[in-house]
This record gives sequence, structure tokens and C-alpha cells, in this order.
Amino acid sequence: MNYASFLIRSAIFDFSRSKAKTLLTSLGILIGVLSVVLLIAFGLGLKKYIQNQFESLGTNNLRLVPGKIINSGGGFRASPGSLGGISFDEKDVVSLSRISDLDLVVPVFTRSQNVSSDAKTEFSDIYHTTADVFPALNLNVTDGDLFTKEEVEKRSKVVVIGPKLAEKLFGSAEAAVGRTIKIEKVAFKVSGVLDSKGGGFGGPDLDSFVYLPYKTGYVFNTDKKFVAMIIKAKSDTDLGLVKQEITEVLIKRYKEDQFSVIEQTEILDAISSIFNIMNTVLVAIAAISLVVGGIGIMNIMYVTVTERTREIGIRRAIGARKIDILAHFLVESVILALFGGVMGLILAYLIVLAIQTLFPAYINIQSVLLALGVSSFIGILFGVFPAKKAADLSPIDAIRYE
Amino acid sequence: MIKLSEIWKEYELDGDVVFTALKNINLEINDGEFVGIMGASGSGKSTLMHVIGLLDKPSRGNVFLDGRDISKLDDNETSTLRNEYVGFVFQQFNLLNKLTVLENVLLPTVYARKKLGYDSNEKAMSLLTRFGLTDKVNSYPNKISGGQQQRVAIARALVMNPRLVLADEPTGNLDSKTGEEIIKLFGELNKEEKITIAIVTHEPNIAARTKRIIKIKDGEIIK
Repeated sequence: MNYASFLIRSAIFDFSRSKAKTLLTSLGILIGVLSVVLLIAFGLGLKKYIQNQFESLGTNNLRLVPGKIINSGGGFRASPGSLGGISFDEKDVVSLSRISDLDLVVPVFTRSQNVSSDAKTEFSDIYHTTADVFPALNLNVTDGDLFTKEEVEKRSKVVVIGPKLAEKLFGSAEAAVGRTIKIEKVAFKVSGVLDSKGGGFGGPDLDSFVYLPYKTGYVFNTDKKFVAMIIKAKSDTDLGLVKQEITEVLIKRYKEDQFSVIEQTEILDAISSIFNIMNTVLVAIAAISLVVGGIGIMNIMYVTVTERTREIGIRRAIGARKIDILAHFLVESVILALFGGVMGLILAYLIVLAIQTLFPAYINIQSVLLALGVSSFIGILFGVFPAKKAADLSPIDAIRYE
Repeated sequence: MIKLSEIWKEYELDGDVVFTALKNINLEINDGEFVGIMGASGSGKSTLMHVIGLLDKPSRGNVFLDGRDISKLDDNETSTLRNEYVGFVFQQFNLLNKLTVLENVLLPTVYARKKLGYDSNEKAMSLLTRFGLTDKVNSYPNKISGGQQQRVAIARALVMNPRLVLADEPTGNLDSKTGEEIIKLFGELNKEEKITIAIVTHEPNIAARTKRIIKIKDGEIIK
């Protein structure tokens, strides 16, 4: 009989004789692993979701915003000047458009207002912008048409709306096309409905936006100012260099701390780092239950050692060394912990599978390895003390134990 | 083969009271002997057996195995010697009820550090066959009679081909007829296989079956 397989076999044999006890003992680890793995899965899913959102909004994008935004240690902090600071105008659009590395310069003015159909009223974000916003953000219509450059110049009273808003106001995307919506008593024709970009999990609800030709929007935006610009660089250009070029142009009109040019990835990094911190804290809290589970195993192992004192004595009498007895009990506690870990993992997988349609959680190979590694470690850590106690029993006292 | 020289065993009881279980024991057991260690309960005969079998260490004195002092070895070395050179038979049988008869007999081989010169499975089977337990191989010890259990224990004691078999009141839990059979078995093993056997007992008629009787009283050898 191979020694290792002998140890594992006798451990499993002992467990199969007391199934309920084994199950209850590993329950602590099961719950611990379940909560840790689920939290990691949720964190990963959320992060991936946000990443996809950003990617769907187009790459090579920069954002020009007023005020100095300081990127400190992964998080963003707005300087006092950013609130009520400068705003941009058509002159800036023209001067920025002269930079040859830029593909699109899209000015944006946003405002939240009531938008109503005949039947309903919804509170919505309204983007006053150019027709270039659609290629810059990878937006396309499912029904109707996007508004054109000519319509912007002619100040046509048309809008393009998100699918969620279309559904809320008109019942469906198809039904919305050609209909009229009112923004503060001004009527607009819905020329198109966009495809879904998702959103809503803490971020902006992109599917409920209204896109309005900015020149038409001057009726609301009487200062003719913009709060931001979406800038799309030509592909294969160095975004760092482009940022510098933009700064050189704007510095002629504004002070250096009055505006910021941010890369999409910087925003993503900032959000990711916040999520990472949150997730780490949650996982650390959940890990406490793993420790509690480990203590449960230690407790039961101490009882087991006492129950099997005579058996230990018999094994010692026929030649088992201290290390053999230690191995016996250590293998048992590790198997107990691993069993709990594997069950927790399976349960976590089933839960992730069940909620997949509602939430983009997923389990990666690292969390599987982490769960198994941590379980084994806990088995060793909390098993070593009872096992040591067993090994240190005097053979003579153990064999006489009644 | 085994020689005890000026062995003392003392236990500290509560406080400063010291109980002396063995007093200046000098004893030699030679290869092929069949020895009875006789004494009343509390005389120290079991302690003596534990010292001879390396289950316990003397407080003072030396134990020599083939001339080598084995009383100062560490736990690993004494465990290995227990495994290889001695086989124990207890009054309580001390079989593991969760293992089958065959697995119980094979248990010492699991802890063997040396390579056995024979197939342990075959050896166990031949012992069980010899002891008339062929049909009990896959039974569990608590499902067979006391006499059968003790024979399984003897098979376990023999599976490693030990130099010495130590039996502590092997008939104490058996009726007189079964006890008689067990003693007869020891006699045969000694005579036919030349196995060195020491039986610890308080019964004069059991001791009388051995070839040499060592009487012990209050921790001292009196004869």
C-alpha cells in the first residue's frame, strides 16, 4: 500500500463513517469560500462590464473639460477652479479642428430637462452636439436616421434618442421614429433611435440620452458655450503627443489650470482602482468567515484526537512514528478544508451561472486556485495544533486510554 | 538478544512522591526463548514489558539489543525498532474496528521503513490461514469472537517477522478453553518457528506452560 494513498484513504474512510459531522465541519469553509469567490466574481464582472462600456464608446478618444483635474494616485480630484470655471465656444472648435492629428472635434453642452411625448414625461440628459458625436462615440441607429451636418447648420428641430427613452415615451423604438417630443414646450421631430449601449450600473444611463443639434439647442443654450469636447484622434497617433498639441492651442486663450485633456483610459483606470479597493475590502471581510471555518475544523480535530487516543496508541505500538501520526491528522484536516472549499466553489459557480443573465459575474482560474490554496492552507494552519497534540501523546498512555 | 542492565523506572506522583515501578532490573532474554513474566497486578510486570518492547523508556539503566544500547534512541528510531523487532499482543486485543481483519494484520507493514523481503499480503494471508481465519479475512474485528480477535492480533504481531513477540495477559479477556488454545498457539510458534516469545501473566498455570519463568514482585525480580 502506497503511504500517501493509505493516509488519504483512511481519512476518507473515517469521514464516510460520520458524514453529518464531516459536512457540518466543512460548512464554515464552504461559506467562507463561497462568499470570497462570489465577491471576486462580482467585482470581476463589474470591472469587465465597465471596460466594455468604455470600449464601446470608441477608442482614441480624449475629453476636454474645464478646470484642472489632478490625477493623484489613481483617483481624480477636481481643483477648486473646475466648478464654475471656463466654458468653450465655437472658436475653440475651429482652432482645435486645425490640428492635423485630430479626426473629430465634438463640442458638447449638456442639460437635464423634462422630455415629453403626448402621453408621458421623462427627465432626461440632453446632449447639444454636432453630427460627429455619432462616429466619435460609435453610435448607430436601429430605426430612422441620425441627424446630419446640414440639419445642424439649418437649426432643424430634430433629435436622436436612446432606445430606453424611446420605449418609455412611445412604447417601442419603431414607434418613436417620426413622432414629436417636446423639450420645454419646443417641439422636435424624432429622426432616429440609437442602438443600446447599456449603462445604469452606477454610470450614466446612455440609453436614455437625447442628442440635439447644438445650433438648434442655442434656444436653450443662449450663451452658446460648451461644457466639454469629445476629441477623437486619428488612429495610430500618440495620444500623449496629441494632448500636448491640444494644450498648445488652448494655452493661447486660457490659463494652463483652466482646462484638462483626459484620456479615456485614465478615467477607466480611476474607476478600476476605486472598484479594486472596494472589492479588496469586501473580500477581506468575507475572508474572516474562512478563519471562523478554520477554527471550527480545529475544534473538531481536537475532539477527534481525544476520541481516537487509543487508536493512536495502537498505531504507535506497532511502529508509527510521531510524524506518521501528525501526517494522519494533518491529512484529515486538509481534506476537510479542501472538501469545504471545493463545495463552496461549486456552489459559487452554480450561483454565478444562475445570475449570469442579470449580472455579468464570472469566476476566473485565479479565484479557483485561490480558493483551493486558501482552503488547504487553512487545513494545515488549523490542523497542525490538534495533529501535534496527537503525535505528542505518549504511546503507553494512549494505548491505556479508555 | 535483549539485555536489561540496572533498569529503574520511577513515576512522579502528586508533588514530591515518587513511585518506583522497577528497581534495578537485570535480565537477559535469548533468541528462541519462551519466557513467562509472572507477578501480581501492580508488581511492575507490564512496565517491564513496555521497557523491553520500547514502548516506554527506563528512568535509569540501559537496554541492549544485540549488544547495542537502544535506551537512548530518539522517537523515530525507537518507533522503527518497535515496528521491526517487536510484535505486541495485548489483553484488550487492540485491533482497529474500522479496519478489516486483513487490514489490521497489514497495518504494521504500512509503517515499515525497510523494504520487506516478502509480499506482505501473502504473508498476512498465510498467517490468517494458519490460524484458521481464512473466512474472516474481510470481517471486522467487532464481528468475530474474542479468541479469533486475539489470533488476528497475533497475526499482526508476526507480519513483520519480529525478533520478539511480547504478550501482555493475552488470555485475560478469554474463557479458559480459548485461553488454552492461544497459549498452545504461542507454544507452537516458539517450537516450530523458533520465535522468541515473552508472556506477561499473573496466572501460574499459564506461566507454567513457558520454558522459563521470571517472577517479579514490587518492581524487583525475585526469581
